[in-house]
Amino acid sequence: MSAATGELIIETEHLSRRFGELMAVRDLSLSVRRGEIFGVLGPNGAGKSTTIRMLCGILDPTSGRGTVVGFDIARQAESIKQRIGYMTQRFSLYEDLTVAENLNFYAGIYGVPWTKRRARVDFVLERSGLTGRRKQLAGTLSGGWKQRVALASATIHEPPLLFLDEPTAGVDPVSRREFWEQIHRLAADGTTVLLTTHYMDEAERCHRLSFIFHGELLDVGTPDEIIARRRLSAAELEVDRATEAAAVLRARPEVDEVAHYGRSLRVATRAGSDALELANRLLSEGNFVISQGRRARVTVEDAFVSMVRAEHRERERGGAS
Amino acid sequence: MNARIWVIAAKELLQLRRDRLTLAMMIVLPIVQLLLFGYAINTDVRHIATVVFDQDRSAASRDLARSLEATGFYEIVGNVAGYDEIGRALRSNRAHVALVVPPGYASKLARGQSVQAQLVVDGSDPQTVASATNTAASLVLARSSALLVQRLSQFTGARTGEPIELEPDTWYNPELRTAVYIVPGLVGVILTMTMVMLTSMAIARERERGTLEQLIVSPVRGVELVVGKILPYVVIGYVQMTLIFLAGRLVFDVPIRGALAVLYAIAFLFIAANLALGLFFSTLAKTQQQAMQMSFFFLLPNILLSGFMFPWEAMPRPAQLLSQGLPLTHFLRIVRIITLKGGDFADVQVEVLWLSALLGALILLASLRFTKKLG
Repeated sequence: MSAATGELIIETEHLSRRFGELMAVRDLSLSVRRGEIFGVLGPNGAGKSTTIRMLCGILDPTSGRGTVVGFDIARQAESIKQRIGYMTQRFSLYEDLTVAENLNFYAGIYGVPWTKRRARVDFVLERSGLTGRRKQLAGTLSGGWKQRVALASATIHEPPLLFLDEPTAGVDPVSRREFWEQIHRLAADGTTVLLTTHYMDEAERCHRLSFIFHGELLDVGTPDEIIARRRLSAAELEVDRATEAAAVLRARPEVDEVAHYGRSLRVATRAGSDALELANRLLSEGNFVISQGRRARVTVEDAFVSMVRAEHRERERGGAS
Repeated sequence: MNARIWVIAAKELLQLRRDRLTLAMMIVLPIVQLLLFGYAINTDVRHIATVVFDQDRSAASRDLARSLEATGFYEIVGNVAGYDEIGRALRSNRAHVALVVPPGYASKLARGQSVQAQLVVDGSDPQTVASATNTAASLVLARSSALLVQRLSQFTGARTGEPIELEPDTWYNPELRTAVYIVPGLVGVILTMTMVMLTSMAIARERERGTLEQLIVSPVRGVELVVGKILPYVVIGYVQMTLIFLAGRLVFDVPIRGALAVLYAIAFLFIAANLALGLFFSTLAKTQQQAMQMSFFFLLPNILLSGFMFPWEAMPRPAQLLSQGLPLTHFLRIVRIITLKGGDFADVQVEVLWLSALLGALILLASLRFTKKLG
């Protein structure tokens, strides 16, 4: 992974945004370093898009402050807009324009001088492997190609900072992989990327991650740090009567998550207890036959689920008292 | 001008070029409407089917019926023998008017007594009725005064003419052709229709596709976006206007007597007012379909109230006040004054003032709604 320099490109302090009664983002303090690929994770409606919109300067925060590429998000939005790229899962392209025409339009919008536009478009087409499709209408492209054009449009003005809101939603796995290669190339060239995603494999490809839940920041760190902080342990077992076995395991308070696929179970436990030992002990007591059992790597997904569950428990306790 | 405006205008033109159907509609629509309105709408009533219930069967009664037909407004389609038959003829649309001549018509006339002939008209179509009765009334009036004059000269032995003569002299449209009245007005109606619809749909399309959000995060300013998007439509508006004037001239021989340059300059205010309105609609509509529906909804009061088809002077006061708020009302007056009456700027300044005020209000309204922030 590329070494991120210490310089901060995004910095927010106690950023909040309220929509009527709803607190969409609450007290968010974040810092993102130049050259990082920074992932924002969270369930739907957690406040990810609201956060991105505030950072882009198109939505004013209710309170708190933030700077992006050195400009204040509330007062210097226009300066920010010139220096960022923005892409959403909708791949907002003009379907009745060709690939090259789309890029040419955005180049003009971002003030690439007329004389340099052509060369700039050619360069971006080349980089995205789109040269052969420059004259194709954007509306006739498949999802993966549209995504490439959308990314190419978002980077046509070589912004130092790129916001990607669920950029890989609804795109096939091969395109997704190629997309990530492109993202890492951009980051290696010094572009900072902030993205939201629901795919956990993508989360692990980020340099650093943040978890947002109900508008609040739960954790920030590298994938390894986040996993380590949860102190989880995971095991994979093959067991007869897997459904019953899963129920037995789920009943234990130290078990965080039991995933159940056919005859195999994946168990994650928290707070220092060893998943494999615990499962072996509990299932033997219940006279289950374990045909196979091994320790498994704890993933970001385990950490994410664990964090959301813990937060739910917290809220229920808070609501009951 | 700002470079981004041209980038947006160029993109809009590119999209327009791809959308052959819309483009064709914008060119063909004015021509089709022109022919449709020019030929089909004819408020001069002629050759109304008329039946005669002649109970006198004299030379004088036949003469009355013939002179009615001679006006060109009535066409005698048959004789009937009673009121029942008149009812049947009116109900079946065989006739819209019936002339009833009472028994003893000729003899009473000869004795110098007053006599009443009756005109039965089909009131289900008030416009026909109005002109039918007016014509018949003036015809009968003319005949009676002729009789009076005749009798008077018999008494006095002197030849006298009519005591008062009214000689109508119609200026600007002496043959009272409807096309001459309708075609210049059509310029305003078509501009209203296409300008409002095209702008509201053009913005709604960006919103629907998500490209508006993409533009909102870009450094484009609201003004640049709006001006860039509507600029191509201003050009289209002028093309439509020119087409209608040309076709009106060639097909219907509609005269253009005044300063065309003044009219084209004033038309900019009108086109801009409609574009601002379309922009305002686009801020209310979430989809292209809604934008289209709003435009159509707006078109109807324009056609009814502006004075395009129905005389403004005949409207009730509240409708007149309402119509002052429509740009079309003022533009129609301007177009007619300039093209038909050969007016110049001095003749239309009040209307230009109205148009400017409406434009200002619409721009204010549209820009208040068209904010760049999403929150």
